[in-house]
Amino acid sequence: MLLLQVLINGLLLGGLYGLMALGMSLIWGVMNIVNVAHGALIMLGAYLAFWMFTLWGWDPFLALPAVIVALFVYGYLLQRFLLNLVVRAQLFLTLLITFGLEVVMINVARMLWSSDLRQVTPAYAGANFAVGGLTIPYVRLWVFVTTAVLSVIFFVLLERTRLGRAIRATSEELRAARLAGIPVAHIYAVTFGLGAALAGAAGGLWGMLFPITPVMGGSLTLKSFVVAVLGGLGTMLGAVVGGLVLGLAESFTATYLGPTYPNAISFGLLVVILIVRPTGILGRAGSR
Amino acid sequence: MAILEARGVSKRFGGLAAVSDVSFDLHAGEILGLIGPNGSGKTTLVNVLTGALPASAGDVRFAGVSLRGVPPHEIGRRGVSRTFQVVKPFRNLSVADNVMVGALFGARGGTRDVTTARRQAEEILDFVGLAHRAAAAAEGLNVPERKRMELARALAMRPRVLMLDEVMAGLNPAEIDEAVVLIKRIRERGVSLIVIEHVMKAIRNLSDRILVLYHGERLTEGAPEAVLNDEKVIAAYLGRRYAEAARA
Amino acid sequence: MRGGRAARLGVAAAVVALIAAAPGVASPFIVQFIINVFLLAILAESWNIIGGFTGYASFGNVAFLGIGAYTTGILLTKASLPLAVALPAGGLAALLLAAAVGLPILRLKGHYFAIATLGVAETMREVVYNVEITGAGTGLVMPIARNPLLFFYLMLGILVAVTAVNWWLANSRFGYGLVAIREDEDAAVAMGIPTALYKTIAFALSGAFCGLAGGVFAYWITFIDPDAVFKVIVTIQMIIMAVFGGAGTVLGPLLGALVLASVSELLSTQVVTLAELFYGVIVILVVLFMPKGLVDVIRRRAFSARAVAATLREYRI
Repeated sequence: MLLLQVLINGLLLGGLYGLMALGMSLIWGVMNIVNVAHGALIMLGAYLAFWMFTLWGWDPFLALPAVIVALFVYGYLLQRFLLNLVVRAQLFLTLLITFGLEVVMINVARMLWSSDLRQVTPAYAGANFAVGGLTIPYVRLWVFVTTAVLSVIFFVLLERTRLGRAIRATSEELRAARLAGIPVAHIYAVTFGLGAALAGAAGGLWGMLFPITPVMGGSLTLKSFVVAVLGGLGTMLGAVVGGLVLGLAESFTATYLGPTYPNAISFGLLVVILIVRPTGILGRAGSR
Repeated sequence: MAILEARGVSKRFGGLAAVSDVSFDLHAGEILGLIGPNGSGKTTLVNVLTGALPASAGDVRFAGVSLRGVPPHEIGRRGVSRTFQVVKPFRNLSVADNVMVGALFGARGGTRDVTTARRQAEEILDFVGLAHRAAAAAEGLNVPERKRMELARALAMRPRVLMLDEVMAGLNPAEIDEAVVLIKRIRERGVSLIVIEHVMKAIRNLSDRILVLYHGERLTEGAPEAVLNDEKVIAAYLGRRYAEAARA
Repeated sequence: MRGGRAARLGVAAAVVALIAAAPGVASPFIVQFIINVFLLAILAESWNIIGGFTGYASFGNVAFLGIGAYTTGILLTKASLPLAVALPAGGLAALLLAAAVGLPILRLKGHYFAIATLGVAETMREVVYNVEITGAGTGLVMPIARNPLLFFYLMLGILVAVTAVNWWLANSRFGYGLVAIREDEDAAVAMGIPTALYKTIAFALSGAFCGLAGGVFAYWITFIDPDAVFKVIVTIQMIIMAVFGGAGTVLGPLLGALVLASVSELLSTQVVTLAELFYGVIVILVVLFMPKGLVDVIRRRAFSARAVAATLREYRI
């Protein structure tokens, strides 16, 4: 029974990891930018949801669309007017500039909102429901459902719409896309906006489960990276699968080894995966 | 004994056989032309011979010693050099520095002393006719100059065997003639060469013998005139109908 | 050529002698500031070995600073060994860690290598956090040093050493090999350069100097815990200082450390947040406007708006 509980916990958390990784995987896959500020975007989403809850009493689930829109706009502007300027520089420079962005965002958050721990605690926060000896917190379940819904919407967007096609074309071959008349600067910005929106949504959901601080994003960036690589870069489904795998790994190590080990495990997993099978679980050889 | 011997060399990528059971000898002081239509496996063969790719089957012997399992940098140290089809300059270095790297490393570990290596590089640049561009940044060179620098760099390694991968691509007829002269002078310095080319005039002029690859397999081998007039070779390049029309 | 080199070495020696005399004339506050600049300069010059010369941008060198700090710290406190033993041991521990970690991860390219190094740093922090001997989360308290000037001269010595190594790299066969790896690794292999060995040596050297600096650092701040030692901002600092000054040059990282640390100090007296914000903004500005660094700008006299525009045009979408 404990085993099943650990499994469920892992899957519920894993879904959220998958959502986080989707955003990073999208940006990486399309523009070959590894966004080190990804965690900071998650953090912004969490704070946004927190303030809407604290100041206006908005239920965090209902506030999610607002968070998504806000982060989309922010991400769009960031890419359009800053990152687009260095997209074709060496990988190291794009990595460095997103690192700089992360430092700026974290410190602005510190100055505005202090380093105090925040938590979003709606009325139903502690409620669980029990089924056959298992305890499942309502919030975790609804978070999982929301991540599933958002993931599906995202897939549909990418696979079935004109916008999605334009994004995929631009990621395949920038010059050809440009020649085909696709406004690539705009598409890149939309892509980053989508990635930021996904991160923001993940942040809004994360804030319902864990404390919010300006520095919460650091380990989340790394975890998103682990998940993206684990699942296989370039495959969106891979991000979801990778997320579930990480969630399970963390759940099992936390229960059977101790609460301080999960972080070390995920980072260790990363190093191992990069050496043993860099293309990831679902990835194809030769993909970025 | 040939300086380079290939026996039954094959290279497979998954289900695709890029090179299939190729055997040949390169004799000391010889210029061996390597031709074949695009995709026939010429560059892959060079990659296997220089250790950049491991062979799926077969063996390569250099000066009688097997190269099986020898890492690529070690093969370079033993005296086998190559140029790349798409040149790979050290962009942020000067032309002289580019060539100097070849002198510093390369055959028998190259030269330990930087000053000596620099002098050797100057001599090589003089030999290939790039001395006037020694201080220029590698980035700013035009196509023929880049090819020459690539060649100079490989030459600075003091190789016994040098493989040239389409050095003449992108050169105009006058530049091609100059390149042919240069390659012959390289041979006179005691280097054995394998030259991959599509420019038939050059290959005919340069080669002592020609080896033809088609679909990864050895199609034929022999003296230039015989090979270039061989029906099978013409058919491979231009299609069977052209060969039949030419015969008729 | 000979005369020129001797003259430059003479100037360098004179500068070092001048700096060495500083504690005699400057206030203790300035001396502390200089020690901090020394530390950052050592880290920047160390990073330069693997990031600047070899082109493998490590985002995790703080791991080596950390292991140096903790090794020295543990030997000083738990084993009561003198600094003369504990400090080199710290450097050695960092060197061995870098070599061990380098073997597998130097096979990775681009993003993967960078993030793997980040992962290594994070893992190190978590391990130190969880292990008894390092004092886990509570940290270690160092013995008090009798002579406060000790740190000044130790750091200066290490800085001179790592800068000398950088100078050696710029003028030696080994250094040219590293640069070749950076410029085109496949071509470097074809030219007979044993790339795996060279990369590992570069990474180990880089780690060793970070470790030595870490050892002195631990003794200097008298108390270490995982958060004090494994700070992410340190990674940003060492990289941006090297890049700002000029990655791959000998004096660039040193220059970058001096300029950025000074400006940061001027802008932000006690407020840590402002200092970090400053570095973040500088990173963005440098990547946008002068990615090749100050040394390059000075060399090419590319001070104009036109030069900046040219860079942007090369890198923008």
